[in-house]
Amino acid sequence: MTIRTIEIRERVMEKNDEMARDVRRRVHAAGVPTFNLVSSPGSGKTSLLERTLDELGKEFPIAVVTGDVQTVNDAERLARRTARLVQAVVTGGACHLDAKQVEAALEAIELDQTRLLFIENVGNLVCPASWDLGEDAKIVVFSVTEGEDKPLKYPKMFRQSRYAVLNKIDLLPYVPFDVDRAVGFAREVNPDLDFFFTSALTGEGMDDWFTFLRDQVYGAKVRH
Amino acid sequence: MHEMSIALDVGRIAEERVGPAAAGNVVTVALEVGADAGVEVENLEFCLDVVLSQPPFGRARALIERRPGDVLRVAYLEVDEPS
Repeated sequence: MTIRTIEIRERVMEKNDEMARDVRRRVHAAGVPTFNLVSSPGSGKTSLLERTLDELGKEFPIAVVTGDVQTVNDAERLARRTARLVQAVVTGGACHLDAKQVEAALEAIELDQTRLLFIENVGNLVCPASWDLGEDAKIVVFSVTEGEDKPLKYPKMFRQSRYAVLNKIDLLPYVPFDVDRAVGFAREVNPDLDFFFTSALTGEGMDDWFTFLRDQVYGAKVRH
Repeated sequence: MHEMSIALDVGRIAEERVGPAAAGNVVTVALEVGADAGVEVENLEFCLDVVLSQPPFGRARALIERRPGDVLRVAYLEVDEPS
């Protein structure tokens, strides 16, 4: 018996990253800013998108790829807000979207007639951090009903994200949530994180978010 | 859950490198896993046990070397080659 050692040194998930690069090339060629929304379940990603579609969907075409573990409920909610395509990906138990699923979803989206693309990931602050989907930037959404220390508990997600949305700020008078502390924890993990403070329910703080998105669409100003 | 996706990709890398016919001869799959790779090592070990005990593998075991940073890669394979 002879044991032979074979050097590999291949990054795990390189296939995913290859597909992500292809997705990125396609959306860049079409000039479509693409954002991957990540959060724990219940932070308000879908509500944020509903508000966004209501406000900005009248100005320019927005497409959404939305992932859910088992249902198409989120896709149905979003489809009521836009005539544009909402592409549902049911992951069948998987806790994250991968680039192959996004690449497949792109087949159904007319990129040349799209100005902004959202990928709504599966609600999970761990696994989606490890998967490049070809987005321009990850946007992590968390809410004031969660702990201020979410950034410290899930540092990889906050490190991988370029932007953060602190949602449900309408509930601040009723919950013991210290915004400065939460932002401090987040910047401890990622000093470059830019914040938005929103209530997707009442609309409070949404103007800054809309301005940011308009800048992306009209000026392609994603900061990497 | 994503540890199983990672384990399946590790199996794909190993099988691609040695070919399906020789996958049963792989005895060690060595991985480097960074502290910031977002991987639960015990969970990954369990998933690798499952993947590497099934065809086309069967006798391979995973060897995980912990590293700093966010590295996550297959470092090397050991293959039992009949003399």
